[in-house]
Amino acid sequence: MTSNDMVLRNPRRMSRLAGGVLIGLLFAVPLLYILMISLETAGQYTAHPLAPPASPSVKNFSDAWTQADLGRQLINTIIYATVSAALSVGLSLLIAFPIARKLIRGASWLHRVFVIGICVPLPVIPLFIEANDLHLYDNRIGYILLHIEPGLPLGVILLTAFLTTVPKELDEAAFMDGCSYLRYLFSIVVPLAWPSIIIAFLYSFLAVWNNIIGPIVFLANPDLFPVTRGVYNFYGTNTTAYTLLAAAIVIVSIPVLVLFLLSQRQLLRASISGVSR
Amino acid sequence: MTASQRLSRPSRIAMWVGLGLGLAFVVVFGVVPTLANVVVSFTDYSGVSGIPASFIGVTNYTTLFTTQRPALLSSVLDTVYFVVGVTVVQNAVAMLFAHRLRKDSRHATLLRILVFAPLVLGVTVVGIVWLLFFEPASGPGSAIFGAFGVHSAFFGSNATAMPLLIAAQVWYDVGFTTVIFIGGLNAIPREIYEAASLDGVTTWRRFTAITWPLMAPVVSVTILLTVITSSTTFNLIYILTDGQFGTNTLGILAFNTAFGSSTGDLGQGAAVSTVLLVLTVLVAVPLAGLLQYRERRLLG
Repeated sequence: MTSNDMVLRNPRRMSRLAGGVLIGLLFAVPLLYILMISLETAGQYTAHPLAPPASPSVKNFSDAWTQADLGRQLINTIIYATVSAALSVGLSLLIAFPIARKLIRGASWLHRVFVIGICVPLPVIPLFIEANDLHLYDNRIGYILLHIEPGLPLGVILLTAFLTTVPKELDEAAFMDGCSYLRYLFSIVVPLAWPSIIIAFLYSFLAVWNNIIGPIVFLANPDLFPVTRGVYNFYGTNTTAYTLLAAAIVIVSIPVLVLFLLSQRQLLRASISGVSR
Repeated sequence: MTASQRLSRPSRIAMWVGLGLGLAFVVVFGVVPTLANVVVSFTDYSGVSGIPASFIGVTNYTTLFTTQRPALLSSVLDTVYFVVGVTVVQNAVAMLFAHRLRKDSRHATLLRILVFAPLVLGVTVVGIVWLLFFEPASGPGSAIFGAFGVHSAFFGSNATAMPLLIAAQVWYDVGFTTVIFIGGLNAIPREIYEAASLDGVTTWRRFTAITWPLMAPVVSVTILLTVITSSTTFNLIYILTDGQFGTNTLGILAFNTAFGSSTGDLGQGAAVSTVLLVLTVLVAVPLAGLLQYRERRLLG
């Protein structure tokens, strides 16, 4: 008996297989469809919208790259996401350590504030007024500063949870040897907390990378646009050039997909185990 | 002696400076805007910079509850439709997915990656994928529905925009709930299921008698999170319909009132946003109580 026969004869395994295929199709088909039309010419798409291209072409990718100015926007996005996520994780550590070690009064109360902070979305209207008043509107530094806070609640919670597993004796030994506070945090704790730091960094990084409301509200100069707004505008101006649009979204998805595939084990595992806390 | 006094003086200063810097960000970019939303709703702030704003009392609210009343009520209904739809569908689908994907087999890992992928791709990409997939003339989604005799403008039709929007939001976000449920399922001790399988309990009975009650605390969290997220987020709506065709939830209404036109009316938008906040709290707090009551009953 081959393994195929076993699957077919066992109704339980059969339904598991069917369920798996169904879930796979539900998520893979729309994405593969976009990939498919990104390889078609506009003529092929209009003539046979559902058929795969007879002769796939990558011309859409170079056209979309130049027409939508994707190179500049990708650089902007990479700067925004990397710098704000890094600063966000750094500040999370500076907040999490005193909370985890109860170095301050009201540490557990402060911790609860961050737990609430995870659920409460930021209202964009007052933030826009604040951005104008603080001269953070329509400039790179302002855009980065505005995107640090949203990453703090998750960062503080992840790092506090991790730090409570680090024995206090380690701090005491280090401080006894004359190690300064910041050197201790950034050269001893950071390497130990690396898995939690990566998760906190990735979540903030993805949130900044994928933000669409932020660039619409806080930026006006097209030279400063990240890919989300660039692609959205490209959609608005080329509502019928679907094959070009598909190529553009394939291009901007590649960096995050690669990052996700490299880190999916840690990212999904951390999220799965996070619920127990 | 407090714990921090064990640190040397320079270290103590460094700790306070670091903590202060971090909390300054929380206050300036988190607490202040959250509280300021109500303040802004009592002003006539416009979206044009340079125009001085002044306090106008409750005018924005009177406008909202008199001339804007029909628009507000229909927006509340759209919000309820969207929130109930997303919360029910997303939690039910995630529970099914979690049962299928909980094991660490290679298939399950691949499927987890796929289900989580939309969250990584982000709302802009996901929104455009759905718009192209349901492009009325040439999209495969339209072709599938067409095969069943359903012809529609999909995201451009009053009848289909909201159900599709709910489907798109669930497709985008279900990976998150699924992952939380997998964690919950894997935390249930195996021995309980083993004892049940010795007694010859059916799969369905195993779910209703063991999994469902033991998952109650996790389900409470995901239900509350989906209610809060779906009532306040509007970024996918912004891409897909921009509030047209019966999808004008309070979130997108507030945003478009404030930023939708070249002049903009931030004060009025903040008033809508405050109404949304109050309604969300009025729903979420009793809901949290109800879910806790349910947990106590199910878990004894």
